[in-house]
Amino acid sequence: MFTLPQKDFSAPTTCLGPTCLQDLGSSHGDDLEGECSRKLDQKLPELPGVGDSAMLSPNTSYLSSRGRMIKWFWDSAEEGYRTYHMDEYDENKNPSLSQSDMQRVEPSLLQYADWRGHLFLREEVAKFLSFYCKSPAPLRPENVVVLNGGASLFSALATVLCEAGEAFLIPTPYYGAITQHVCLYGNVRLACVYLDSEVTGLDTRPFQLTVEKLEMALREAHSEGVKVKGLILINPQNPLGDIYSPEELQEYLVFAKRHKLHVIVDEVYMLSVFEESAGYRSVLSLERLPDPQRTHVMWATSKDFGMSGLRFGTLYTENQDVATAVASLCRYHGLSGLVQYQMAQLLRDRDWINQVYLPENHARLKAAHTYVSEELRALGIPFLSRGAGFFIWVDLRKYLPKGTFEEEMLLWRRFLDNKVLLSFGKAFECKEPGWFRFVFSDQAHRLCLGEQPAFPAQPSLWLLLVCPHPPGHQCQLAPHFPFPGMQRVRQVLAGKSQVAEDPPSSQSQEPSDQRR
Amino acid sequence: MSHWSDTLPVPSGQRRDQVPRDHSIYPQLLEITLHLRQAMREHFVQLTSRQGLSLEERKHTQAIREKEALLSCLICRMINLLQSEAASDLELQVPLPSEDSRGDVRYGERAQLSGQPDPVPQLSDCEAAFVSRDLSNRGIDISVFYQSSFQDYNAYQKDKYHKDKNTLGFINLGTSENKLCMDLMTERLQERDMNCIEDALLQYPDWRGQPFLREEVARFLTYYCRAPTQLDPENVVVLNGCCSVFSALAMVLCDPGEAFLVPAPFYGGFAFSSRLYAKVELIPVYLESEVTVTNTQPFQLTVDKLEEALLEARFEGKKVRGLVLINPQNPVGDIYSPDSLMKYLEFAKRYNLHVIIDEIYMLSVFDESITFHSVLSMKSLPDRNRTHVIWGTSKDFGISGFRFGALYTHNKEVVSAVSAFGYLHSISGIAQHKLCQLLQNTEWIDKVYLPTNCYRLREAHKYITAKLKALEIPFHNSSSGLYVWINLKKYLDPCTFEEERLLYCRFLDNKLLLSRGKAYMCKEPGWFCLIFADELPRLKLAMRRFCDVLEEQKEAWIVKQLEDAMRE
Repeated sequence: MFTLPQKDFSAPTTCLGPTCLQDLGSSHGDDLEGECSRKLDQKLPELPGVGDSAMLSPNTSYLSSRGRMIKWFWDSAEEGYRTYHMDEYDENKNPSLSQSDMQRVEPSLLQYADWRGHLFLREEVAKFLSFYCKSPAPLRPENVVVLNGGASLFSALATVLCEAGEAFLIPTPYYGAITQHVCLYGNVRLACVYLDSEVTGLDTRPFQLTVEKLEMALREAHSEGVKVKGLILINPQNPLGDIYSPEELQEYLVFAKRHKLHVIVDEVYMLSVFEESAGYRSVLSLERLPDPQRTHVMWATSKDFGMSGLRFGTLYTENQDVATAVASLCRYHGLSGLVQYQMAQLLRDRDWINQVYLPENHARLKAAHTYVSEELRALGIPFLSRGAGFFIWVDLRKYLPKGTFEEEMLLWRRFLDNKVLLSFGKAFECKEPGWFRFVFSDQAHRLCLGEQPAFPAQPSLWLLLVCPHPPGHQCQLAPHFPFPGMQRVRQVLAGKSQVAEDPPSSQSQEPSDQRR
Repeated sequence: MSHWSDTLPVPSGQRRDQVPRDHSIYPQLLEITLHLRQAMREHFVQLTSRQGLSLEERKHTQAIREKEALLSCLICRMINLLQSEAASDLELQVPLPSEDSRGDVRYGERAQLSGQPDPVPQLSDCEAAFVSRDLSNRGIDISVFYQSSFQDYNAYQKDKYHKDKNTLGFINLGTSENKLCMDLMTERLQERDMNCIEDALLQYPDWRGQPFLREEVARFLTYYCRAPTQLDPENVVVLNGCCSVFSALAMVLCDPGEAFLVPAPFYGGFAFSSRLYAKVELIPVYLESEVTVTNTQPFQLTVDKLEEALLEARFEGKKVRGLVLINPQNPVGDIYSPDSLMKYLEFAKRYNLHVIIDEIYMLSVFDESITFHSVLSMKSLPDRNRTHVIWGTSKDFGISGFRFGALYTHNKEVVSAVSAFGYLHSISGIAQHKLCQLLQNTEWIDKVYLPTNCYRLREAHKYITAKLKALEIPFHNSSSGLYVWINLKKYLDPCTFEEERLLYCRFLDNKLLLSRGKAYMCKEPGWFCLIFADELPRLKLAMRRFCDVLEEQKEAWIVKQLEDAMRE
């Protein structure tokens, strides 16, 4: 039940990275097969090759043991991180950043400033969040800390809220990179709250999070002697695209308060809810928070404004101790003064956001979503999606005869061989093999790039491209149907009958295969 | 290598698992600690009640208060720890002395609570500021360490001097920033080539830094460090500041509790970068100001001193993983000759130590008669896989708010490992573009920027050193950097760090922020660092305040002498 993404840094020979990264970066042996049979008492996911120091830079005398671990994170993720990150951005939404009001340079922007972020930016963030989160009272700039991205924020929060070796609860499947964010500096683990697709008991939908499941996971962690300090909620959820209702949110928060847990609510997709009817509510819109001192809200521009390269993330917390402690680490997660100025200008431009950007963005997301979901329906493939985020959680279990994670990996590779990069469920700690995340927010022109000889072998350009958006910033919707991305998916799945005849080991024994 | 980790201090979270499940000692320990705190409080009350009214005594009382706050803070942390241990034992039913009061108190309600009878003595203001039940112990440590060190800096940020708007505000000669070329930089950064918004800049980058920027950094360093061969962009990692580079290096080269040697006095920022995240110890290699037979120059670094410090550290059971050098040195301003640099590198090689060389002031050498030799200019490095160079734009281009630092190392493993931190210390794509443009324009740098910057630094240096000479204050540094290292020993009586602190406070009372030697881990009390890279009018006013303080200090000294004489 409890996964240890990795052991303490002081024990290098048995260290494990997040399982998702291992799977991408290492050869895959039999133990993956056993993975699903160990659903409940899953301990350390064994990884062939990690125990032997070959994986961890055998000849190195240069790095410390935690340094070797960290390097291994990087090496093993080199291909994998693209899987995570490349699909995280949305299309052409670089807003009015090139307009002339953006290019101000002032001496104060070039000098050391308040490490929480320039006051003008924190004021703008507070106003922005008050408006878009519909907070009952105006949010306050002193509760805002600005950093260079959500990853840094996870890292800093983990470090100041937990001791090394302590844990956060997180419902699975979840955005797998968080494992690394909380671990790298903080050495904090994630204790999974496993959700499943079957609708049982009082559940009304697949992968539903309930307080009962939270309680169970917490007890489980305690019984293993692991101290849990908090709960991470991603709302809208990634990869499920699920949205927590205000009532559910309230229940989770009350649960957390009962156990004195911090709650980190990651609302990085809050403006990417393209179905009005989904009824998304930010946690900041709640009339009364059960435990405001332990509720910390994250938002960033990487998804909602499609600017992951801009590196902007923000924390909102009423807890001044937490804000101060995070700010103390901001020396290492600072954001250029010039970029802070541009961010403030962007967030201030409410007219553009409301009248141009958001309607356009939502229309595009909706069109892409409609297209992909129709294609999937035509193929008879079940999926989940509730109208938020850039992804659809697709059930390909019927293509896995034995229903193992090894088969999941093989299917993933088959997609990859056809230049379709998907994310497999294991990377999200999903406990059922066969789920995949399809990102639908990519652009047609990037696929073209992938096929140009100038960019022959870069896996990063192989993205699944199923989005009907033409390139160009002022876009009129001119869908380019049918999209090669979906076509390829169709091809791969049609050829799936042959998979069983392929010797499954042929690929998994050649790690070099994945480097192509 | 792994056997070392067995002897390391284990993080508390790990240790907890190994401790026998019998937690019954915790309530006892907790009780003892609470008594201890009570006793300590009473002791301090007695100490501080004996206060007089003179300035010295008030300062003294303040010092005691600060000590008290520190001790209280430590004890509070012990109590927190003990409480959580005691509470985490589910079978334990003993009512904990203070558990109830800490249960559901909201932050703002703390004040109301203090009126109620409470087995735990109420938190003092200072503790309330530092001790939080919401943070982990290391979170508290980070917060306390940082806030206590930057209290005065924050005061400055809130009350900055402005020639029209706030003439009574703080002037900061304590933070190493170059404000002399703001006009050039603001102009340059507004030029047309700086503004580029491309999709690629807004998307997830290569976490080592955008390839175009790494190429530019490699080219830039090849040129300005006079590297014998072209430097390789693959050996470059760019992060959001040199402190981030240092922090990441400390993470990947050392395990928690391991150490680096650093010649002291040294730039205090390293203390943060090694401690906040990485938990790496910095062992000072103490240098002395006095010139003797072996110490031919003040604050001279010799291999003997390095050997001695290393052996001593090893004798104490510390695992030293590397040596940190700053060249040009901060705060003394020394520039290592190629010969001595080579000796230090050979020393490091002899003991398998990594060498981190911070060359962040390499273009701020304003004395034309002196040539700076970068470690990258050496024909061959004694141990190239253990030599890591840091450079950034904060000082040389005076844009500390830009957040850019670069690592150059031949060691691919280190490149990989540091790259893993890329997403935690990343730079905005837009800023990366601007940096690339900035570094690319060698003509502007060579013909406009560097000559102007050096000229202005030289002029400011001339002004400040003339003042110091007139005051007969000894100082070091006549060639590089943004600072002079001054000796105010003669104003301290007795010459202690406590007196140094009081003098520092006196400067602060006169709205002048300086850095004192203690913050640079200097062994001898009485040294201060003065940053002179500021506009002349502000510098003049700062020096006026500086002189006033020293006058005041002299007068106080005379008064004290008189009082002493009268008492006798």
